[in-house]
Amino acid sequence: MSRDSNYDHHISIFSPQGRLYQMEYAFKAASSSSGQTAVSLRGANSCAFVTQKKVPDRLMDPSSITHIFSITPKIGCLATGMIADCKAQVQRMRYEAADFQFKYGYPIPVRVLAKRIADIAQVNTQSASMRPLATVCILIGVDDEKGPQVFKVDCAGHFLPFFGTASGAKEQEAVNYLEKRVGDMKGYDKDQTVRTAIMCLGSVLGSDFRGSEIEVGYVEGKNGRFTVLTEEEIDAHLNAIADADA
Amino acid sequence: MASSGSGYDLSSSTFSPDGRIFQVEYASKAVENAGTALGLKCSNGVVLCVEKPLLNKMLLPSSSRRIHTIDSHSGVAITGFVSDGRQMVNRAREECSNYEETYGTKIPSKVLGERLASYVHYFTLHGSLRPFGTSALVASYDPETKQHSLQMVEPSGVAYTYYGCAAGKGRQPARTELEKLDVHKPETSIDVREGVKQLARIIHLLHEEGKDKPFELEMSWVCEESNWEHKGVPRDYIKEAVEWAKKDIEEEEEFESDEDEEMED
Repeated sequence: MSRDSNYDHHISIFSPQGRLYQMEYAFKAASSSSGQTAVSLRGANSCAFVTQKKVPDRLMDPSSITHIFSITPKIGCLATGMIADCKAQVQRMRYEAADFQFKYGYPIPVRVLAKRIADIAQVNTQSASMRPLATVCILIGVDDEKGPQVFKVDCAGHFLPFFGTASGAKEQEAVNYLEKRVGDMKGYDKDQTVRTAIMCLGSVLGSDFRGSEIEVGYVEGKNGRFTVLTEEEIDAHLNAIADADA
Repeated sequence: MASSGSGYDLSSSTFSPDGRIFQVEYASKAVENAGTALGLKCSNGVVLCVEKPLLNKMLLPSSSRRIHTIDSHSGVAITGFVSDGRQMVNRAREECSNYEETYGTKIPSKVLGERLASYVHYFTLHGSLRPFGTSALVASYDPETKQHSLQMVEPSGVAYTYYGCAAGKGRQPARTELEKLDVHKPETSIDVREGVKQLARIIHLLHEEGKDKPFELEMSWVCEESNWEHKGVPRDYIKEAVEWAKKDIEEEEEFESDEDEEMED
């Protein structure tokens, strides 16, 4: 190893100032490098998330480009960051969820899944051989006992439940937008939840969308399934938003 | 900002200060130095094509293949480090046979692509391993859904489904040519025989006579004509396609030089 005083940039050890550089770089890779922003919030009995859909190349099949994944029929995940790392994280989440169901005989609650995957992510920040996965995951689902839940799990293994949250390039602006509406959120029905998420994304990116430029997922009700909106359904919401503004 | 690497590029398990993993980017560069590989999703099948440079006059032309059959209904074309490619091919074959043994049916295209991608991605996570220096183009047919598909797995472990894709030295101009074919619109989608000709044309267009080494064209398809099995395109058809391609390129060059003459007047 070089005698450079910055040698702690290479593997997961503490710097003299008590920081973990590799983890901070992983955050950079997860948030700013992809240029994507994700917004999520929960209402009275539903929760939703939304992100941009960027198809870099006409030769690509747009249906293969997505950051939204279903983990179980009732839990959805929006993973931003490096897509290969996102897919690896999703694979592990699906395995953990299926394993829980097998062992305990009932579907995994969102908070248990979030904690499990956060613990797994933390291991990479403490071991030298594997790097942290450059992805921030937002998990949504409606819990039997606690109602709609939104959890965010990041590269460091932090996880917290939220009323509303965002991740990615414009995280701070999106969170500011949501904070202004946090009191009202508790009363939102599914349509309001979805539309607020879309409006928040529109406001922080400063542009209007078409149905093909964003992807939206939601879960409604204790018996609801995780659903991804089709382009027509997104257009319907966008029209409703435009009408309400006009 | 250390954009030149300088210390952050020594292992796969290191992020740079601006959040990049240099080892993965360098692996992609290894692919960029190798022969061009093209894939095209046509209306009734998928065609794969690789430009294999003939390094030595003593080499038997059909040795050291770049296109491999993974299962009866899928094939992979590799470009980059051929030896790394062999590992990927072996793994893909294992995935196919394991899937069939476990689930009793042929592996769906999407699952094959995802499994291969997640295998390649694994090598970008550990410090003790290096990423693969190959891109793999996977052509496959799913007998259940009766859909054919083309996917490309890159050294970073990213895999997308494509209408047309290119990897290797000539990928930028190849992509431009593929876009001109308008294959992303179902109305203008072309037939596999036409696809074979177009790919031969693109390869010959990009190959510069004096500069690049002489090459062999390996082509394969999964289509209605081959009964949805991954097979090499019949040699006489490749020959026909290459002749057509060369003629077409010559005609275009004449047309362009005619145009120039007219403009000079």
